[in-house]
Order: sequence, then C-alpha cells, then structure tokens
Amino acid sequence: MQQPGRPARTGADEPGQDVAADHGLEGPGLDYGRVLIVDDDPEIRLLVARFLQRHGYQVAGAPDGVAMMAALAHGDADLVILDLMLPGRSGFDLCRDVRAASQIPIVMLTARGDEADRIRGLEGGADDYIAKPFSPRELLARVRAVLRRARAASGGRAADNAVVTFDGWVMDLRRRELFSPPGVLIDLSTGEFDLLAVFVEHANRVLSREALMQFAKTRTSDDPFDRTIDVQISRLRRKLGADASGGQLIKTVRGAGYMLAAEARRQHGEA
Amino acid sequence: MKAMLRRLWPDTVASRAILILIAALLGFHALGYWAWRVGADTLAASASDRALAARMLSISRAVAGVSGDAERSRVAHDLSDASLEAHWSRVGLTLDNGTDDERAGMMAARLREQAPGLGAEALRIGFAAAGTHNHGGGAVWRHMMLASLRLDDGSWVNFSISTLEPGSYEGWGAFAMMICVGVAIIGVAVLLLRWATWPLRELALAAERFSIDQAPQPLAETGPVEVRRAARAFNTMQERIQRLVTERMQAMAAVSHDLRTPITRLRLRAELLEDAATRRLVDADLGEMETMIDSTLAYLRGGKSDERMRPLDLAPVVETIVDEFQDQGRDVSLSGVGSAPVLGQAPSLKRAFSNLIGNALKYGDVARVSVAAAAGHFTVTVEDQGPGIPAEARQRVFEPFVRLEESRSRETGGSGLGLTIARAVIVAHGGEISLEDRPGGGLRVVVSIPKPGEEIRTG
Repeated sequence: MQQPGRPARTGADEPGQDVAADHGLEGPGLDYGRVLIVDDDPEIRLLVARFLQRHGYQVAGAPDGVAMMAALAHGDADLVILDLMLPGRSGFDLCRDVRAASQIPIVMLTARGDEADRIRGLEGGADDYIAKPFSPRELLARVRAVLRRARAASGGRAADNAVVTFDGWVMDLRRRELFSPPGVLIDLSTGEFDLLAVFVEHANRVLSREALMQFAKTRTSDDPFDRTIDVQISRLRRKLGADASGGQLIKTVRGAGYMLAAEARRQHGEA
Repeated sequence: MKAMLRRLWPDTVASRAILILIAALLGFHALGYWAWRVGADTLAASASDRALAARMLSISRAVAGVSGDAERSRVAHDLSDASLEAHWSRVGLTLDNGTDDERAGMMAARLREQAPGLGAEALRIGFAAAGTHNHGGGAVWRHMMLASLRLDDGSWVNFSISTLEPGSYEGWGAFAMMICVGVAIIGVAVLLLRWATWPLRELALAAERFSIDQAPQPLAETGPVEVRRAARAFNTMQERIQRLVTERMQAMAAVSHDLRTPITRLRLRAELLEDAATRRLVDADLGEMETMIDSTLAYLRGGKSDERMRPLDLAPVVETIVDEFQDQGRDVSLSGVGSAPVLGQAPSLKRAFSNLIGNALKYGDVARVSVAAAAGHFTVTVEDQGPGIPAEARQRVFEPFVRLEESRSRETGGSGLGLTIARAVIVAHGGEISLEDRPGGGLRVVVSIPKPGEEIRTG
C-alpha cells in the first residue's frame, strides 16, 4: 500500500502486513483497517506502526500536515491518529481541515491532563482522544472502538453515533462520559466504560462471559491483578445502582451470560 | 524584669518617635527653665542691689545729718527694717573679707555708682561669719552681707543685709503650663505620627499578604519619601519574585511536557518486549514516572482545571480509586453512601482523592475510606494506621515539597505535592480538608465538599 507521491520519510511508513486477524467482538476481518499516524517524532511513528501492525492493522505514517493531506488525498486510510503538537499547522487546524473534506475518524493525541486541548480537539471534530503518554493497549482499544462506531454509522461520521441513551442514562462515547438520569456525571474506570460500551452496543442481547472476557483480555492482557469479568460487572452494577433506577440494568442470564436490559438509542450531535 | 522592660520599650516607629519627642521636649524645657531662672535671678539681684545701695546711702546721709550719738543711733535704728538693719558706731564693725566675692563686689560697685565720691577706705563690705546668723554659711551664696560706710566725721554706719536671697518665686504655674503644652504637643504628635506611619503599616500588610500563588498586588507608592522608596522597592521585589517563580514553573512544566514523548516511546518499546514479567516492571516504572509528571503539572496549575464545574457523583469517583488500589493488591476498603452528587471537576477530584488514599497506603499500609452525607455537605474520610502527623506539623504538610521525614520519604517516594494538590483542588470546590488523629492511632483525613447550592458552614 506504499503509494507513490506520499512522503515516506521514516521506517514507520512500511506497509502493514495483515499479520493476525483481530480478535474483536465482531469477528476477524471486520475491525481490520488502515491507520494513518501523524506525529513529528519518527520513533513514535515507527513504534505505533509496529504495534498496530502486530494487531492486524495496516499503518502508514506522516510527520506533518502536508504529508497527512497527501496521504489522505489518496484515500488509503480508514482512521487517523493525529498528534496535536505538530510543526507548522497545529493538530487542531488539521483536524478542522480534514473535517471540511471528509468524515474519516480521527483519534487525537493530546497532552495528558490538558482538558482544554481535549475539549478543543473534540469540538474541532475529532472522534476520540488519548492522552500522551498513552499505553499502547489503550490506543489499540480506542482505534478499535472508533472504527467500530464509524462502521456502525454506515458511511456517516463516527461522531454521529457518539451519544447513546438507555433507560434515561446518557453515554457519550466520544468524551467517554456517563450521566445518570438526573444528569449527574458518574465516574467509570476505563475498563468499566469500555465494558458498558460493549453492552450498550449490544443492548438487549445476551453476551457470553467468554465474549466479554475476550474483550477484556485485549485491554489488559497480562495484568497479574486482572479481575475477572464478574468483578468488573459487579463494580459497574454498583455504579449504575448509585442511581436507584440503574440497579437492575445489567442482568445475569443464567447459563448464558449477561445482558443490558434496556433499549439503547443513538443520538445525533453532542450530549 | 527583662521581659517587662522589653514590653515597656517602645516598639513601633510612632512610639519611638514620641519617646524621642518627649525627651527632646523635656530637655528643651529644663534648659529653658534653668536659663530663665538664672537670668531672672541675676536681674532681680541687680535690681535689689541697686535699691539697697540707694537706701544705704540715704540712711548714711540721714545719720550724718543729725548730731549726738544717741540721736544717730536712733535715726539708724528707725530707718532699719527686716531686710536692712543699720547701726551707728564709732568704729567700723565690718571686716572687709568679701571683696573677692562676686555679689559683694557687685554691691560695692552699685554703692560707688550712686556715690561716686566714696573712697576705698570709706566702704567695707563682707559677710557674716558662718554660724552668726543661723545661716549655715553657703560657700558661694552667703545670705547675710555686712557693709560699713564711713561718715565724714570718721564714725560708721554698719549695715547687715539679709535680703540677698532672691525672692523664692515658686514656678508651679509655669511648670503646669509646661506640662500642658507638652501633653498637647504629644497628643498632636501621636495623631500625626500615626498618619505618617500609615503607609508603613500598609507596606507590612502587603508583605504579609504576598504569596507566590497569587498575582502580585502592587502597593500604592504614597507617604513620605522613605516610605515611597520602600514601597517602590517592595513592588519591584514582588515583581521579581513573581517573575522568577513563573520562569521556574514554566521550566518545570516544559520539562514535564517534554518527558511525555520519551515515555510514550518507552511504553511502545516495552510492548515489544517478549518477556511479560519485564514488560510489567517497565510499565510500572513508566506509570510511576507519569504519576510524578502529572502531579507536578497539577501542582503548577494550582488546583485549577479547564473543566467546567458540573453535577457529578463523588461516590463513584472514590469507588474507582479504591477499586484501582484493590486491583494492585492493596488493603483498601470503602463504606458509606453510594451516591454523593456535588458540583465539581472529575479529573481534579480524582487526583485529590487518589493522592489522599495513596498517602494513607504509603504511610499507613491500610486505607479505610468512607463517604457520608451531612447537612449541607458530603464528607469523605480517609483513615490509616500509620504514625500519623504531629499536630504542629499539620499545617506545614500542605506546603509544596514538604515531607515530614526525609529518610522515610526516600523509601516511600513521592514528590511532596500530594497534599498540596489535594488541598488546592478541594478549596477550588468550596470544600475543606482537615487532618486529625485517628482514635487508636493513625491519621484521619476529613474532606468536606458542599452539596450543590450550599456552602460549608464553619463553626
């Protein structure tokens, strides 16, 4: 997929090989995609590329906005990972430039703890963000989630599917925030949020423990303190139960698994 | 005794100035009074000497004007009074022993002034011998002067003068006046000095208010020239300190930001490691580094966040932190209410409570966390079973980079910013944080966050 004319300045721009099928919930092949990483640090481009390639993605790199635009013009990316701190045009400006022309999903790399950057980025049209320094697994989870959302929108923007409501609860997938029916922000750990996102995407469908565990495994594979899916679910239930209405939302289906017993509706626009 | 003296010793500029004023005033008055007394004495003495000289001469003439011993004695006696006694006699009774005395010399001069023909032999002047007149003879100021004037026929008129003592005009009136004027001057001076030293007090207040965490408030450059200079110097110093601190903070922030790229690279490299155990260790180290950078940046932001305040539930925030520590195998437990809606910024509150619970585990090995609802606010209590913090150090531990025991902190790590950040965040939420002894040993940290629309009532 090395395109002529695309600036290929670093080793990071090696075409990705379809090494392994991605073991996402939606089965192999579906999550697989082409990722463009835009970062001025050649080492980071190379390392992200290698990491994502190992998980089945094709990865190309671009050191700045000019190279990014050239790569996008060829239409050979399904998702862009965009660093905000770039030489020349900033990540914010580039994000807007891209949005003016296309609906391609964008995951921003923001400075950790810099809430202003995050908000500006999301308002500029990014679909998700991840703070630098990020954990590679976290990046993988985000890339996967955003691609899945973009595909669910069938050609539309991933952001259009970013807000989901269920039983009065509001979940903003882009900002990674959950609000109880009275509109109070309920804090979730990253794992809990991703788990709830899976439930919401498969509302009123029974998810087997195996499927959920597989999902959890991709996040925190060899963490020695990795809790079972049951612990995650009981924590999620406790937090949903903080509001009286949420206690019974996640049901245990004996012998089959768990189910979110609510209608989930996607909302357009911002929460 | 020393302490009492120290307390009496004037300490303020105004009181010292008043002390100096009083001393100067007293000195000036004493000197003036003395000069006035001496001047008045001299004047009075010369006036009375002149009058006495005139009387002595006229008595002599009157005695000379009559004949007969008895008659002369009678005239002399008749013309005597308490201050000037005259006796006629054939021989001069006065020993001329006073010519070297200033007063006697003056008297002689007055007599010769009024009777130019008075020969040296015709006047004897002296003083009564000590003891003779019940006047314990003052060496310089003898009170009984004796004088003998020779008449033309060789007989003498002898005078004893007892009014040499200057009239004892008791200066009480003048003294009282002096005191009144003094008091009035001091009263006015106190008011003026208070007015004049007001800018100095302002300067002191401004210096006390000065804090590196806040934008400097320039001091008004008013008052006397020295105070204006001091105020100007203070303002310049304040600006310089602020600039210095800002520069240092920017440098710290820049380093922290710049570290993110190498840490990201290391994280990605660690992911490529084949050995899972090594990978975990590297990840843990990197996590620690990130925590340090995060807390440095959080400290530099001073508890402020770009997040807006919005309704959020405190209980799940604390739950997430407790769960995370439990996943790391730490002894943490949570009790209390499951819902605590407040207005807040989730990332800041997470950091604050994470610091508090992390501290409890670091120093006390266990953390007992509870969330409770009270009137107007929610309290989050974190208890540990560590050594606690002595009462006198409880204020100091909130200051940045303060760690109680250097040796202990080396073991336990940490930047010394945890409590500083926690307090800044809690204060920014309108809340309070206090440190107490846990009954049975250990530290208890109590955090109060007001319910939406309420304020914490301190009382």
